[in-house]
Amino acid sequence: MYRQEASTEVSDNFSSVIVDVPRASSCETAAVRTKTLSGSKPPSTALWALRRLICFFAILTVMVFALNAMITSGLRRIKTSQYGAWNQMMDGKINARIVITGSSRAASHYDPRIIAATAGRSAFNLGRNGSQTDMQVAVLKAYLEHNQKPEIVVHNLDAFTFETSHEVYAFAQYVPYLYDNEIYAPLRKITPDTWKSRYVPLYGYVVDDMNFSWMLGIRGFFGWSPKGDFFQGFDPRLKPWTDDFDSFRASNPNGVSWPIEPEGIQVMEDLARLCQERGIQLIFVYSPEYIEMQKLTNNRAEVFGHFHELAARYHVPLWDYSDWSYAADTQYFTNSQHLNAQGAKLFSEDIASRLQQYISAQASSNADLRVAH
Amino acid sequence: MLFNSIEFAIFFPAVVAMYFLSPQRLRVGLLLTASCFFYMAFIPAYILILFFTILIDYVAGIYIEKVEGPKKKAFLVVSIVSTCVVLFIFKYFGFFTSSFEGLAGLFGWPVPHYVLKIILPIGLSFHTFQSLSYVIEVYRGKQRAERDFIVYATYVMFFPQLVAGPIERPQNLLHQFREWHEFDYGNVTSGLKRMGWGFFKKLVVADRLALYVNDVYAAPRGHNGLQLTIATVFFAYQIYCDFSGYSDIAIGAAQVLGFRLMENFRTPYYSLSISEFWHRWHISLSTWFKDYLYIPLGGSRVSKRRHIANLLITFGISGLWHGANWTYVWWGLLNGSYLVMGSLTKSWRDRLFSAVGLHDRSFIRKAIMLLSTFILTCFAWIIFRAHSMGDAVYVATHLFSGWDFGNIKTPQFLLRQMPVALASILALEVGQLLARRKTPFNVLGKMPVSARWAAYAAFVILVVMFGIYQNRQFIYFQF
Repeated sequence: MYRQEASTEVSDNFSSVIVDVPRASSCETAAVRTKTLSGSKPPSTALWALRRLICFFAILTVMVFALNAMITSGLRRIKTSQYGAWNQMMDGKINARIVITGSSRAASHYDPRIIAATAGRSAFNLGRNGSQTDMQVAVLKAYLEHNQKPEIVVHNLDAFTFETSHEVYAFAQYVPYLYDNEIYAPLRKITPDTWKSRYVPLYGYVVDDMNFSWMLGIRGFFGWSPKGDFFQGFDPRLKPWTDDFDSFRASNPNGVSWPIEPEGIQVMEDLARLCQERGIQLIFVYSPEYIEMQKLTNNRAEVFGHFHELAARYHVPLWDYSDWSYAADTQYFTNSQHLNAQGAKLFSEDIASRLQQYISAQASSNADLRVAH
Repeated sequence: MLFNSIEFAIFFPAVVAMYFLSPQRLRVGLLLTASCFFYMAFIPAYILILFFTILIDYVAGIYIEKVEGPKKKAFLVVSIVSTCVVLFIFKYFGFFTSSFEGLAGLFGWPVPHYVLKIILPIGLSFHTFQSLSYVIEVYRGKQRAERDFIVYATYVMFFPQLVAGPIERPQNLLHQFREWHEFDYGNVTSGLKRMGWGFFKKLVVADRLALYVNDVYAAPRGHNGLQLTIATVFFAYQIYCDFSGYSDIAIGAAQVLGFRLMENFRTPYYSLSISEFWHRWHISLSTWFKDYLYIPLGGSRVSKRRHIANLLITFGISGLWHGANWTYVWWGLLNGSYLVMGSLTKSWRDRLFSAVGLHDRSFIRKAIMLLSTFILTCFAWIIFRAHSMGDAVYVATHLFSGWDFGNIKTPQFLLRQMPVALASILALEVGQLLARRKTPFNVLGKMPVSARWAAYAAFVILVVMFGIYQNRQFIYFQF
């Protein structure tokens, strides 16, 4: 930079060209009209220029709002994938008699088609990837707001059930539905900035999403829906066993302890009360978890103690599949937390028949009660 | 306040509107108030540090002009030392104490461990250098001391270039605060276009590439040679687009208000030599070091050995300016060494090119020079970006080992990001190449206004839609 050698001067007028930067010789005369401080009034063309600028930005604003509306509308038209599941729920088109709620474990473990076929009742899976109990309950509330109440809610438990959301995973999935207060209020509680996604056009689609969901929206607007990989909310995992768990174990050789937050317990109590108030039978299910991961969880007994205490207090059945027949077989898992499609099929058959027995038992118990009366 | 924030999107139009609606006597005060507001959006208390350096240099400037002889020099020294002490305390204290501790440890000397738990004020190095340039120019008699404190404070704090430059000279900027800037449509639209191009560089190119670079350089040993190579090339584009994008936004924002800031970048990766690269990269800093360090040291008009020493000293200090870490010092020294080697081998290289029939204007010769300059620059960026010299050596020695084309993605940068990243680099290069021929504006200028506006609106929307908003801070803020 400092040598005074004659270097090849590459003609480079980029900056001045692309932005019409006035050159040094002409800047005084052309662009930056400088005058003495006596304060001459701006020329009458200033008003014209201002009008033009306002006009341009007004058009731009309209385009931005229009694009936002187009994306939202497109996403809400999608009939398949995660958005399809959302849309069915928010449009009140599900009205299932058995509803499954929970995290990604719920989404990928319960096949409503198998459950419906065995239990003889329509079923739908409301499991949400990356969600904690607070958002799972929010989704259930939104469901109840738009659909007829189910007979049974199967709430899938996780070791991290008592940890509340500290950030929102895959935020873009919620953006088309932010005008629904059941969704908006809990999101706002987790991320106060959520208002920006609700009121600033495109904000939710571009700032909080790295997955180009807005492209899905544009395509959806023109009638295109992505490949159907969700089946009544069920999101099967097609991958075989990965090395995720080995990496996890290597980085946590002394095991892990999941937080038990008072707010997390409160949310579970809210869920139990909500179902009680609405006359919905709630069932807690701890779906299969890879056996080695169970050993790695240091406070598993404590977590389960809370599950049992909650279940007893609210008279909720608790079905624990920790010792599922295939819990030690990686052939049925994608990683320690998630069954693969093959495992999900086996588990869905198990849970479906247990549900069917439970419903029958409930029905006969009700009949006995009626006779006794 | 960050340029790429909603707050700035509200702040900037409001300031522009108030500025043009205000009479001249209120305008400088308005700019100063706006600049304080802009700066205080980061850490409010740090405005006091800025105020301290401004006050020192303001008073020093007046006395430097007023007195003669040794006193004049004494005021200059007091001003420089007190300004640099602030820089030292906030930026270099930890670096020097830890380096001293390390050195003392080698000799077995017990040294108490001093730690200052303070955060580096944003843009400290930039406004420190801008202040220093003012007092030095006043001392040299090339600039009259500014008597109006508000005007001087605004010169140091002018919000478009406050936190990351360009590092202005008083001769270029100071007088502009006394001038009447009319609301000029051409100026405003040119400034906005420049800002738009800057946002494209920052949001679409730099911040997307940063996702990859951050993942790989956070743990280079966990990545294969292909990932290291991609991350290194990506970083070259990231730092260019991040910093030149900031400069474009700064220059554009100032232009909207009617101010002219100096150019800071001239497509540096089109350079045919390292020397040329440094004429095109961070020009305001390069010329600062040239004017206030390299030339006073004797520049190139000294013995060969002294010239080499001058280059290495200048680049070593320039490296240290970038950050309080030995990696930056080594990065500066490596660039200085490139220049020394370039100077020593120039005649030999010229003869070699001539021997194989590649004359000065030969395309192949230019391509070889351009490519070799880019590779050398990328190599130097490894040291700049790595967290330690150990990491830098690891990256440099594993660039070409264990390439795995099936394992390119990183946790933050999934494969779906790759086409967008490559397309954004391509768009950048095409944009720069077309601009050299003035094509975009020739074409746009001939369009009817509706089509032109549609093109501009489409550009804005594309930048918004393809922008990344997760890694918002500009790299150079830390300097």
